[in-house]
Amino acid sequence: MTKILDLFEEWFITFLMGGATLVIFLSVIHRYGSGFAIPIMQDWLLSLNVSWAQELCIIMFVWMAKFGAAYGVRAGVHVGVDVLVNRLPEDWKKIATFVALSCGIVFTGIIGTLGLHFVWENGMHYAAFSTFGIATGDLPQGPTTPDLEWPTWAVYSAVPLGSYLMCFRFLQVTWRFIQTGELPRHDHAHVEGLSEDDGAFDVVAAPGGVK
Amino acid sequence: MSAVAAEAGWGPMSKTRAAVWLSIIVGLLLAVCVVGGNIGIVFALLIALMLTGIPVSIALGLTVLLFLLLLTHVPIEAVALKLFTGIEKFEIMSIPFFILAGNFLTHGGVAKRMINFATSMVGHWHGGLALAGILSCAMFALVCGSSVATVVAIGSIILPAMVKQGYPKRFGAGVIITAGSLGILMLPSIPKVIYAISTSTSIGALFVAGLFPGMLLTAMLCGTTWFLAKKNNYPRMPKATWGRRWKAFRESIWGLMLVVIIIGGIYSGIFTATEAAAMSAIYAFFISVFVYRDMPFKNTPQVMKTSASMSAMLLYIITNAVLFSFLMTHENIPQLMADWILGKELGQAGFLFFANILLLLAGNVMEPSSIILVMAPILHPAAIRLGIDSVHLGILIDANMEVGLCHPPVGLNLYVASGISKMSITELTIAVMPWLGTMLVFLVIVTYWPGLSLWLPRAMGMM
Repeated sequence: MTKILDLFEEWFITFLMGGATLVIFLSVIHRYGSGFAIPIMQDWLLSLNVSWAQELCIIMFVWMAKFGAAYGVRAGVHVGVDVLVNRLPEDWKKIATFVALSCGIVFTGIIGTLGLHFVWENGMHYAAFSTFGIATGDLPQGPTTPDLEWPTWAVYSAVPLGSYLMCFRFLQVTWRFIQTGELPRHDHAHVEGLSEDDGAFDVVAAPGGVK
Repeated sequence: MSAVAAEAGWGPMSKTRAAVWLSIIVGLLLAVCVVGGNIGIVFALLIALMLTGIPVSIALGLTVLLFLLLLTHVPIEAVALKLFTGIEKFEIMSIPFFILAGNFLTHGGVAKRMINFATSMVGHWHGGLALAGILSCAMFALVCGSSVATVVAIGSIILPAMVKQGYPKRFGAGVIITAGSLGILMLPSIPKVIYAISTSTSIGALFVAGLFPGMLLTAMLCGTTWFLAKKNNYPRMPKATWGRRWKAFRESIWGLMLVVIIIGGIYSGIFTATEAAAMSAIYAFFISVFVYRDMPFKNTPQVMKTSASMSAMLLYIITNAVLFSFLMTHENIPQLMADWILGKELGQAGFLFFANILLLLAGNVMEPSSIILVMAPILHPAAIRLGIDSVHLGILIDANMEVGLCHPPVGLNLYVASGISKMSITELTIAVMPWLGTMLVFLVIVTYWPGLSLWLPRAMGMM
């Protein structure tokens, strides 16, 4: 189950990264492409409205930020100040790490709940009730985004979803820490593809190049 | 990093010493609370949380939550709203694009061609390969906005080459660590984008303003290197023919063209900064996969995933820093700080000195983006009232961040270089000293010579 979640998370952020890049690329191409007077092409391009590209890009990146942050907990990319903690005696260090992880759990939990509350009050309540045919009464329908006209509650639900996922990741990490005493750490010192570079540099590889 | 830290003589303290240290810290923080009133509490809380080792982003957010819950009557819904709207700015979205572009460039063989070109130009001088390393870092920095990416891209090729030629390992490492920091000074740079957002300065002007300081730093680093290489008689390479130089230049032109896209695009108004970043990501992808063919197409998802998680980490810090700056504005802290600083009557020179010291100290504990997000809103209002230009302050902060990247305990360039060279942080810290000294001299020049940064953006009419 968590495997599926892991995979989904990774593919989701990869997709959002690539997607947003393409969206902006296409919108720029469109803006300048429609300036050329190619008979049928131009009419067709002008008929497309891509003013929503910017908004879509922002939404995609906000979602990427929230889910990527959750992935980051698992991969250990979030940087903290470990100057003091690293110098503490071993068992005190454990306590400090434990406090730190609990702070993470509490914070993401609170933010998730606040976000959910906000989203619920801003249209999700209405949407849920009207979907299930319950009388909505005077519940607000909630605002929509300016260009895409998507309901904001759906767009903003990145915050509760992402935060709860992050909270779950912190719980996972804490659980593993209690069991094994290990934390995930992103090793900045690790450089990919280092060994493949041998001999790729022709000026140096030439024998007799050294004077 | 903990293993590295232990190796560097940062081993655990005994319990009594730790207890003494902790009580000193707690005492200090309490004193700050008492003296500073609400401001004191905010910062004491932030520092206390950070010292437990939690991610900076969460420390920032939690400070805000605790403060709002315990000490004010601000409705907590305001926080929720800020979390959505905090990063809803199109300018911020240039950060993921620059990261993506940087990752494509790193994997795509652009660095290799730039090194070939630089080597063919200066290889025959004293310490030729080292000089070529600095020049190629500078060229790479023209198109890449991150110093870590610069160190990885250039360092992973040039360091092994230097060792093969008979340079001492530490010499090469020292050169690359410091030259890599050019990545955030020359033209595009992620810290500059963050500064621009948190102080509403023009991104284009900041990008261009870094060019001359970057060239000066390149020249100064080259000077130090040449001097050391001559003294120790390090190897020189045969002089390349002009034909060879031309060929190397033609091969590297694809990568250098990115400068035209980014700066030309922004300057002429064809693109916004964010669009330019997106175009450069696409362009970098295109040349890596189809022109140079150094990166197989199947690696693309992997590069995108790495970029996504790096960007998410930064964006998450930014979101929480936006919350934090909301708290600061709510408590009127920037204005109070500005009044306090101005009340000291330091004058421009004194203020700049004070700002440098503060930033250098901060560089000991935090990484650049967090420092800028916390410090810029505090320093900026005071600087403006003292008549210091916003762009000049930005370049100054940037230069300070460069120094912070090159020394322990949090200098990322150092850790990356230690990964490439397999040297310990202690060794690297000694290795980097001559160039770090050069950078400090450079810092003084940048601080007290605003014209160096401001002339070009003024001449181009960008500010």
